[in-house]
Amino acid sequence: MNALVNLLGRSVYAGPALAGFGALFFIGLVITVAGFDPIAALSALLSQSLGSVNGISEVLVRTIPLTLTGLGITVAFRARMFNVGGDGQIIFGAIAFVGCGLLFPTLTGWLLLPLAVIAGILGGAVWGGIAGILRARYNASEIIVTIMLTYVAFQGLAWAIRGPLQESSGIFPRSEAIPEAIKLGLLLDGSRLHWGLFIALGATVAVTLALRYTSFGYRLDAIGESPLAARYGGIGDRATVILSLAVSGGLAGLAGAVEIAGVHGRLHDAFAEGTGITAIAVALLARLNPIFVPLSAAMFAVLSVGVGGLQRQLGIPFPLVHIIEGIVILAFLVATRLQRDAVEG
Amino acid sequence: MLDQVFFVGLLASAFRFAAPLMFAALGETVAQRAGVLNVGLEGIMLVGAFLAVLGAWWTGSPWGGLLLAMLGGAAMAGLHAFLSITLRADQIISGIAMIVLGLGISGYGFRLTLGAMSPAPTIPAFAPLKLWGLAKLPIVGPILFGQHLLVYLALIIAVALHVFLYRTRWGLDLRAVGEMPAAADAAGISVQAARYSSVIFGGAMAAMGGAYLSTAQLSGFVENMVSGRGFIAIACVVFGRWSPIGAVAAALFFGAAEAAQVRLQTLNPDIPYQFFVMMPYLLAVIFLIFLARRSRMPAALGVPFMPPR
Repeated sequence: MNALVNLLGRSVYAGPALAGFGALFFIGLVITVAGFDPIAALSALLSQSLGSVNGISEVLVRTIPLTLTGLGITVAFRARMFNVGGDGQIIFGAIAFVGCGLLFPTLTGWLLLPLAVIAGILGGAVWGGIAGILRARYNASEIIVTIMLTYVAFQGLAWAIRGPLQESSGIFPRSEAIPEAIKLGLLLDGSRLHWGLFIALGATVAVTLALRYTSFGYRLDAIGESPLAARYGGIGDRATVILSLAVSGGLAGLAGAVEIAGVHGRLHDAFAEGTGITAIAVALLARLNPIFVPLSAAMFAVLSVGVGGLQRQLGIPFPLVHIIEGIVILAFLVATRLQRDAVEG
Repeated sequence: MLDQVFFVGLLASAFRFAAPLMFAALGETVAQRAGVLNVGLEGIMLVGAFLAVLGAWWTGSPWGGLLLAMLGGAAMAGLHAFLSITLRADQIISGIAMIVLGLGISGYGFRLTLGAMSPAPTIPAFAPLKLWGLAKLPIVGPILFGQHLLVYLALIIAVALHVFLYRTRWGLDLRAVGEMPAAADAAGISVQAARYSSVIFGGAMAAMGGAYLSTAQLSGFVENMVSGRGFIAIACVVFGRWSPIGAVAAALFFGAAEAAQVRLQTLNPDIPYQFFVMMPYLLAVIFLIFLARRSRMPAALGVPFMPPR
């Protein structure tokens, strides 16, 4: 280890670069071992995702929920509150958004849309906030609670679209289409790209400013850097612990609302599945810096759209995406370690 | 009479549902006792479930599958150990990487191998034991003597671990490593070696839990089939207060909840079944509320140790 650090000349950039190349090597290995040509796979991945207008717009469509949820993960992880239940918060945001939209169909659009979006944010915030309250008051692990609540949310969604929110014809397990007034318009005709892109970018600016210039941002980092013992002892800044997970869930809830408003138009099973997990890799690749989250989200969107194409074109199985996410997280860890060594000498 | 049949069935299947949790929670109990947290059990269990099916198909025996699963689980845990012990990286983030990797490796591997075969191959699976006809005894028969061999194995491992942790020198050393690594190191115990072996043991155990799911409880692999059990197993470690017997008791509780959930679904067709499926997950949260605060975890849990040079 030390020899390696010396070899790298103690540059703070050498570690991340090495980790990046290591990650690429292992990704190539995973593809080669399965009997595919990694160069052909890479070129197919890029051509499927970035090689056409349609591909690029699909990448941007996928970037939107990954950015919003990734921002949420960033907020929580900065306080070392490990929100791994983004999917549950997305689902609750979406249910609240659709529920609100279907409840007041007669309201005019300029009023209903913000109302429904706020409902979505609150839905996610409540689902994340519960984990925050349980962590702050009872020292219950937020990792376990957020995951357990995600499984509860999966069942809640399955019930809602077969029960109270099911379309009146009662044929499919899905809700009624949301009113036109709360759908987000398309940015590009013939594609699925919608105005949610600007919501994601706006949220990025807002979170960046909030973390940099408000006491909330400062207090998040203070919790994140406080010694383990203090955190687990339950001492400290309870309000910020709760708020960190509530804000984190709120951003995921917003992602759910925007996904329904911009892409799906109604609730159904398995929309945006796995976004909460990918968002963790997004936030870590952005090194928990919100300004880099959209870029990082776009890279994972390329991956997701591209591997979807690989599956169709070359038969490479889609779960490759998760292997790559895992490798990226490991690379983040190794890079952080090498950088720390370089700084400390 | 119906009630008796109901409860006997419930208890018998409580053991069946508890077994995967027992394996994973027992392994994690040892790892945490040595001071290393592995939140990635879910991913390791998934890889175990997949490799067990693959190995069973290759070798024609569920034992071959179990062995392959254990090797795979040990390898993943070895990676986690390297990151958290040698590199002193963030243990929780490393564990999250194991979750994501496990999800990917099991899904990718399955679709490339058995999942691509048509018709789907038959997987040799563990059959429940019928111990000398004792399983036919009323009441206790099905509960105590009609289980899969792996269920008894889990219980035997629990007792062995109890003896190991509290009655042997090595067990004492291991607990010292998790409580006061500096003192243990000064006493000549290799903290790193104790932690590596505990974490790798924990990984092999988690993979056995996964193997149980795919070759005993069911015979076949389904993507994401562990569905949160890896996290419930971590909760069992907390509820069991970091003791092997406690972990088994907690696992049995959740096994009973799962068994009850399935039965209540069929008894109450008017209530949407999703509410029953939610039950074990909600129970885990409720128990954390009541128990997490009072529990005392190993003092050095999650804290990397740097041996003095």
